[in-house]
Amino acid sequence: MSDTATENGAWRLLCTVNGQPVDLQVPAHETLLYSLRERLGLTGTKGSCLEGECGSCTVIVDGEAANSCLLLSPQVQGCSVETIEGLAEGKKLHILQDKFLASGAAQCGYCTPGLIVAAKVLLERNPKPTDDEFFEGMEGNICRCTGYKSICEAVRAAAVEWKRN
Amino acid sequence: MYFQPHTLEEALEIRAKMAADVLPICGGTDIVVAMNRSSRPSANFLDLSHIEHFAEVRNDVGTWILGGGATFAQMGKMPVECLARAAMTVGGPAIRNRGTIAGNLGTASPAGDGCVALMAMDAEIELAHATRGRRTVPIADYFTGFRKTALQPDELITGVRFSSDWRTAWYKIGKRGAINISLVCCAIGIGRSGEARIAFGCVAPTVLRARIAEGIITQRGFSDAAVEEAAQSAMREVAPIDDHRSSAAYRRAMCGVLARRLLRQLRDRPVARGDAA
Amino acid sequence: MSDSISTFSLLHSQFASIEVDAPSKALIDPSRTPYGESTRGPVGSNARRIDGVEKVTGTALYGADLFFDRADLFAQVVRSEIAHGRLVGINSEKSLKVPGVVAIYTAKDAPGTNRQGLIHRDHPVLVEDRILYRGDAVAIVVAETEQAAQQGRDAVEVDYEKLPVIATMDDALAPNAPKLHLDGNIMGGKRIRKGDADAALDASDLIVSETFVTQTVDHAFLDIEAGIALWDGHHLTIHVSGQWAHEERRLIALALGLPIESVRVICPATGGAFGGREDLSIQVYLGMVALRHSNKTIAMRYSREESMRARHKRHSLRIHYTVGAMEDGTITAAKITVYSEEGAYASTGPAVLRKAASHATGPYRVPNVHVDVYGVYTNNNPTGAMRGFGACQMAIAYEGMMDRLARQLSMDRRELREKNLICSGEAVTTGQIIPLATGVECLDAAWQQFERGAGKEKPLAAHQRRGVGMSVICFGLGYGDGFPDASRATVKFAPSGRLEVYTGGVEYGQGLITIMAQIAAEELGLTTNEVDVIWADTHRTSESGSSSATRQTYFTGNAVKIAASELREQVLDAAGRLIQVHQHEVDLVGGFVVGRFDPQIKRPLREIVAAAAERGFDLTGQGIFKPRTVCEDFDTGQSPRSFITYLFGAHIAQVVVDIETGEVRVERFIACHDVGKAINPQSVEGQIVGGATQGIGMALMEEVVMKEGRMLNANFTDYILPTFRDVPEIETVTLENDDPGGPFGARGIGEPPLIAATPAVLNAIGNAIGVMPHTTPCTPQRVWELMNPELALVSSGVRMLGLPDHARMAR
Repeated sequence: MSDTATENGAWRLLCTVNGQPVDLQVPAHETLLYSLRERLGLTGTKGSCLEGECGSCTVIVDGEAANSCLLLSPQVQGCSVETIEGLAEGKKLHILQDKFLASGAAQCGYCTPGLIVAAKVLLERNPKPTDDEFFEGMEGNICRCTGYKSICEAVRAAAVEWKRN
Repeated sequence: MYFQPHTLEEALEIRAKMAADVLPICGGTDIVVAMNRSSRPSANFLDLSHIEHFAEVRNDVGTWILGGGATFAQMGKMPVECLARAAMTVGGPAIRNRGTIAGNLGTASPAGDGCVALMAMDAEIELAHATRGRRTVPIADYFTGFRKTALQPDELITGVRFSSDWRTAWYKIGKRGAINISLVCCAIGIGRSGEARIAFGCVAPTVLRARIAEGIITQRGFSDAAVEEAAQSAMREVAPIDDHRSSAAYRRAMCGVLARRLLRQLRDRPVARGDAA
Repeated sequence: MSDSISTFSLLHSQFASIEVDAPSKALIDPSRTPYGESTRGPVGSNARRIDGVEKVTGTALYGADLFFDRADLFAQVVRSEIAHGRLVGINSEKSLKVPGVVAIYTAKDAPGTNRQGLIHRDHPVLVEDRILYRGDAVAIVVAETEQAAQQGRDAVEVDYEKLPVIATMDDALAPNAPKLHLDGNIMGGKRIRKGDADAALDASDLIVSETFVTQTVDHAFLDIEAGIALWDGHHLTIHVSGQWAHEERRLIALALGLPIESVRVICPATGGAFGGREDLSIQVYLGMVALRHSNKTIAMRYSREESMRARHKRHSLRIHYTVGAMEDGTITAAKITVYSEEGAYASTGPAVLRKAASHATGPYRVPNVHVDVYGVYTNNNPTGAMRGFGACQMAIAYEGMMDRLARQLSMDRRELREKNLICSGEAVTTGQIIPLATGVECLDAAWQQFERGAGKEKPLAAHQRRGVGMSVICFGLGYGDGFPDASRATVKFAPSGRLEVYTGGVEYGQGLITIMAQIAAEELGLTTNEVDVIWADTHRTSESGSSSATRQTYFTGNAVKIAASELREQVLDAAGRLIQVHQHEVDLVGGFVVGRFDPQIKRPLREIVAAAAERGFDLTGQGIFKPRTVCEDFDTGQSPRSFITYLFGAHIAQVVVDIETGEVRVERFIACHDVGKAINPQSVEGQIVGGATQGIGMALMEEVVMKEGRMLNANFTDYILPTFRDVPEIETVTLENDDPGGPFGARGIGEPPLIAATPAVLNAIGNAIGVMPHTTPCTPQRVWELMNPELALVSSGVRMLGLPDHARMAR
């Protein structure tokens, strides 16, 4: 059974975002980044290069990192999407968020959501990454402010205390 | 219109009916970049990302078989040196998770890292049509011009296959350590009987093999003299241009450097069946 | 304390006489600096960023985040398709037919001066007639959705009359070149005349010359220009990130013909700037549309391509540098001619020329200096402020010359530097005496750190070479040169009891508001958790000058300190009156008013503040910091005090070069900076590592590529920024040699780390391959060309800025 769009180019997007079901009419050609930010108001995920070169738009789709600026929303039909907004539990910060704060790894903060999400995927798969595995997991994210040192420190500190869920 | 079939048969039917009026999209990592750069979105999409088994990777008695939807992340884990290395130099993990081999072959950029690696292993591209069925095109015949391929407008790229017998090597020159567009890239494959395939990216309108250089190695092996002659020949066989990324002179010289370096690497690496890196 | 003295002398009057040369240690309060400042609070600690939680949870609202649920109309700008020419006509017919498009505005609709420009108002907001670069704005399209605005923008038809493109400085300086501005193609110049350079060169044992070319750099901050504006009939409120809210307000008001007091600028959370937000971006476009659509929130954002295409860039400099020296390594003279590409408009160009000139010989003792810096207009992007501001390009030159000199003299590169670095009490290029010059100390500390980690290098392959390079730089902070430079701040208690700091300064990730909170908290005996900072809102905050020129720590830090200490005096006075105690006998510690000698006195600060407020006490501290600098002499460029203070730094880079491909990897990097006092050591380190990374980017990979006025790489695929894999874990060494004029002895840190990094990498490459680089960035191709000059060919098709072609260069 194939899903097709209606004549006016709209798509009924059915998926979960941060554990919540989403049922939303979107233009079929709309990027996931746009839908998350401008329709669901989840402005934590950022757009910057809009070509998959900087990772500011990183989200998690079915457990894997993805650039939301390069995904058309229909492509996540039936998928589970996680964004930065899904990490903290109320006021309780996720360990990565806490370590980023402790290390001063958020300077201007614009790359931070994408970085934290990418780090989350990395550590969930592999809580004790080698240096190579660390770079493989993080190399898709650019930071213009920090020079990466404080970010590495934060992710390593989180890895030390990581508990598998 | 936006089509998201769950079976390949449905996808082929839609493609056969609409041909060039529908744009196949799988990972989207090339297509959506182009869309973001222009304000006019493409009219009709054929989304292949929800087709079961489209991303399959398997080895069948010495032949690697990849479904069109196989991602760079998957290729990065394969014990195939040139393809795995090429895949791991593509973007970052998020790109690798979505970008597909069919997409790389469909875009047919002369800088396509996956294409260059496949070229070094005489890969065969499987193209399918709803009623005409499947056909395979040797990769050497697949690229017909700048961003042009043998794919018919009513066909889809459904898979790629190549032998596990190749011993391969890969190098890509970029301007930084990650997320690189190649300045020049090179993949070399040596077959079971010593036949050489020397493939380059970014030095011609398509991915290119340096056939005379290949012949030198195939016939004479890996002596210092043969390697040197092959490297010199490679430099003459490529047709690089000056562009905003690099100059023709540099790219030409690098073809020689990479051919020499990778041939020596293959010569000095212990011979083993398959390609355990 | 006074008690203990009187007891002491009473006791001892009964005994033999005592020697009182050395003051008793008991009389020294260890929680105070030698200047009597408190240091037991947050100053000097790694206080967490006060805006940190919003940033790690994604709840901070940057410009584009304000659109959701607020935007009523969307605007997009039509940009010129030509780099030089005239606007002949605009046809909006097709555009107005695009569903959702509401209006199109051009220069004839501009209500005010229609001019912008930080120093000269030479840049039309919307083109009236002349087009000078391919980013000039021709029209604004307004629509009900963003997509309609984009489609409407693409449907506007524009007629141009093309004129020949001045693509390079050589084109601009050619005899019959078309004039880009009224006075021609030279924007102006700056000179230094100190001693007699020609005579000194003649008398030198050795003369070394080189031509350096530095590239056009983009700021590439991640937070693309975006924001909203609303006109309610009385006030125009603009939410767009900038670097100087109050100046932006003035410029917007003038451009739009509005009374200045009716414009309000509020900076949202800002994702990086690096000088790239000093010029106006979208503010006037938004304002113009808002004025025409009362009570509608107008939203606008750039794409990455538009952001790169429209925005000003770092000046590309061509530096002809000649140095004279004696055989023993003493430098005698420097003669320098600089051509600085200004692009289409002046922007902050005149100030950049100035800073380049005044830093032309860096931290070295050069008794005879002859400098001419010329600004040259072209039809490329206007060039303006970017971290380093002219001093960074000059550092590439003078540090490159030091290595060349060392080579010619067969002298150790470090020894040559130490011999010629100025000592405290000596003068820099402008003749200003530097009371505390710590270049040698920084260099020594950097080498100590280097030696600590040496010997762990991995073995190299046959095609690899390792090289080590160093740099020493100095940098004057603040605007300098007599330009009005002041910062004002207010510190007070909110009715809730929380401490509030008001500053016009912009926080864009450097950690400004956190250190202001630390300074204020220190004065009032509080923690930063009890402080709120209200910043960059022209209706609520006083003017603190721009967040640029490495000035905020010093200027606004001082203003906040003055304001906070004023408030502290007021609180202590109030406490004295309320508790009936002498105000000098109480102190503010840990949120309490405590007796300094009587432990019984302890009252919660909140209580005192509330009681004082009730009694009508004024508890508002105002701080104004307005130090004096002196203009540089027009003819000689000399000034006794061009900059309020100077910063010193030294870097060491260790690189591995693939000598066949030219690829360079930075293997190890040490950055040492003398910051006076690290108010927040973690933020200082963050600035050092971040700035050095940008410097490495400038050394190896970043460049804007133009061809006949068209930008070929206006995207992140081809404008290459450093990634995780491109920088090692940068080792930082922070020196704290107190600056008597800085808040708690602090100077600043923003720009020096970038300035010192690029030359260190270049010198390391030179050390590795045996050929000195002279053109940035050192991409693999350029490094290969240095090693294979006979194989390098320059095709005339693409004029990549900075490719060496000495024969063509004007001198």
